[in-house]
Amino acid sequence: MSNPAPILLVGLGGAGCSIVGRLASALPAEVKVALIDTDTTALQNLENAEVIQIGRALTRGMGTGGEPAVGLAALEADEPQLRRMLTGHPLVVLVAGLGGGTASGAAASFTAMATESGATILAFATIPFSHEGERRKRQASDALSKLAASAHGLVVVENDLLLIQVPADAPLSASFAAADEWVAGSIRALASTFMPGALVPVDSASVRSILSQVGSPTLFTCGRGEGVNAAKMAAKAACESSLSYGLGTTAKVGSLFVHVAGGEKLSATEAFEVVNMVRAKFGGEVTTLVGARIKPELGDSVEVAVLGASLPPPPKPKPKGKASKGAKVVDEQQQLFVFATEEAIRRGLFGSTPFTFIDGMDVDVPTYIRKSIRLATAP
Amino acid sequence: MKNKPLPALITVIDIGTHKTVALVGQVINGKARMLGFSERRTDGVVKGTVVDLDKLHASVHEVVNDLERVTQRAVHDIYLSIAGPSVEGERVKGFVAVPAHDGKVTPRDLTEAIASAKRLEPPQGRMTMLYMRQPTLLDGRAVVNPLGLQGKRLEVNFWRITMEEGNVRFRVSMVNGMSMHVREFILASHAAACAVVNDSERQGGVLVIDVGAGTTDWILYYKGHILCAGSIPVGGEHVTNDLSVALRISRDTAEDLKLRFASAMHRPADLNQTIWKDGNQGVGDQQFNRGTITQVTSLRFQEIIEFVRKDVVRNLEHIFPGHAVKFDQNFLPSGAILTGGTANLADAVEATQNVLGLSARVGQTQFDTEALRKPEYAGVVGMMVAAIEDAPPVVRRPRGTFDWLRDLFRF
Repeated sequence: MSNPAPILLVGLGGAGCSIVGRLASALPAEVKVALIDTDTTALQNLENAEVIQIGRALTRGMGTGGEPAVGLAALEADEPQLRRMLTGHPLVVLVAGLGGGTASGAAASFTAMATESGATILAFATIPFSHEGERRKRQASDALSKLAASAHGLVVVENDLLLIQVPADAPLSASFAAADEWVAGSIRALASTFMPGALVPVDSASVRSILSQVGSPTLFTCGRGEGVNAAKMAAKAACESSLSYGLGTTAKVGSLFVHVAGGEKLSATEAFEVVNMVRAKFGGEVTTLVGARIKPELGDSVEVAVLGASLPPPPKPKPKGKASKGAKVVDEQQQLFVFATEEAIRRGLFGSTPFTFIDGMDVDVPTYIRKSIRLATAP
Repeated sequence: MKNKPLPALITVIDIGTHKTVALVGQVINGKARMLGFSERRTDGVVKGTVVDLDKLHASVHEVVNDLERVTQRAVHDIYLSIAGPSVEGERVKGFVAVPAHDGKVTPRDLTEAIASAKRLEPPQGRMTMLYMRQPTLLDGRAVVNPLGLQGKRLEVNFWRITMEEGNVRFRVSMVNGMSMHVREFILASHAAACAVVNDSERQGGVLVIDVGAGTTDWILYYKGHILCAGSIPVGGEHVTNDLSVALRISRDTAEDLKLRFASAMHRPADLNQTIWKDGNQGVGDQQFNRGTITQVTSLRFQEIIEFVRKDVVRNLEHIFPGHAVKFDQNFLPSGAILTGGTANLADAVEATQNVLGLSARVGQTQFDTEALRKPEYAGVVGMMVAAIEDAPPVVRRPRGTFDWLRDLFRF
């Protein structure tokens, strides 16, 4: 592939742009960056990024005021420009902070647009903090379900969980850095498949094939380890990361892509040890793609990124005759893994019950998540 | 219904989120003797709201079957508890200007005042369930019995309990469907209080918090009367859910761990304890840090009590507008009393004391059966007590044909 930038990283809306903006400086050359927003102040002038302001006539560069309808209209107004931007990128990574106007309204249509242009799209969506109120949460929830139906892969990042990730006295920037690291981990892993010279090379097309189906449930997690047992530590961190939350212990996916990157000391044995740990946790019976790469700048640390999806089973021939009459057709894959929506992630057993709000908080969400209290680590 | 004398057999059924408990008692000289008891797991109720009528029907039916088998008698009318988010309370008042020359209150004045209090219609779609007595004021002074006293203005107050109409209707139709009839509704928190609070405590002022599985109901007594009551749709089930989310374990495992290791207080020493899920250290057994468990459960429990505190303060502000009522030990000398299954959580008393700034204890029911002296049975035992206490005095009437007919076509 002669394209200099096979991956397009798009930040949509205020929050998405700020995440992408922070990431942009440390990205490999295989990634092209684009920022899309209605608000001119949110669009930073990055050197190597394409900046598109949408809905200029609608909002006069002032943002949508939290209205998803305005966000959608803004996107439709600038459709030709966006389509031009999307051409020639086989893989599009979208980062959107749901809950506001631009991202909540435009994300689903943008993904649909990218799919039409032939790209595989992996979306990262952040869900607002619980103290941001009911309306933003509902908007995020609506947008998430639409996005889930139109993207090839969807990874949900919980803002509440971000705060849990870092110590209580850490500065605000540290908790956002945790989210940045999360998105960056995936992009580095994906970009690595397009770069020559890997220890264990993996075909980029087969990675894309994991995400070939629109609306398939996605799993993403990453972890980092340092020191003697770096590889094991990284795998353990990836398996236990609280950002990959709703995927409880039983959640398994059919296809996995595991990418291991480490310093010069990383051996293939260590890389495959990591893969085995990840497979034990997340499944990957259908296919497991393994990529490993030596990055001298990592020193004695190891990074593990796991991307997985369950492909819907191939359509079975319809049962004929009397024998199967009245038999219930059960879609096994569907029951194996349902989409980890915001509700399922945080509300646990109350996932399907109506929301209960006290003082603007959904009280079915565990208290420690709402209060962003970091739990003691496992033994 | 209010005027009917107490039957010889009282059947009370308390439908909770987690379990349905029923009790049959025989009333002898104003005291109940237990004849039958049944406890079954409730299905079809989540957070105090019914989600599956058929399952609930089956659960209640099992309980009634148990009772009929044990007591060898058919259950005809029952007392049913009401609780949960669809129950709301508010203060209604009615007053009359005492007309007589000598200014003495006659029974007719009292009846009129009560009628004017009850004239106020509940909001659209809600149904009045109960009127609970609050202080009667004669010229602004609280009096126990105003009849014959002198004054100009007689004011009666009630705490009116209303419930969503549909919710009431399906409860009644469910009970009717089992060829029984609801004799009376009893507010669950009031019942729990009847079981664990004595008169002198009620006179001083006491807050009873019934922490159930799906809801937490509270009731506040002040100067011998109910002052206000409320309900919060959070309970022990949420503690279990938090654990299952935090440790990524199944609901049943979480419930088990909650009963064995959870606490309402988190102590740093817990962090040094490691516990096993099953205890046999076999295949599939898992290790957890006890500190994680107490952290999750203490946060949730203390938050529940904090919600109660906020709800109480909000209600007090509504009742005494403009007066800054200090919610402290002086206002409620008898402090807070915990009942309900979640009151069994370790250190629940200490946590409640810390959050509310009041003295607290776990309510013990004064019941002759040892097994029913646990806080989770305060509700059902209290319903029995409440049914007897709140019944009007027995009036013997000659039974005529009309009564016989009315009994035949029971309404």
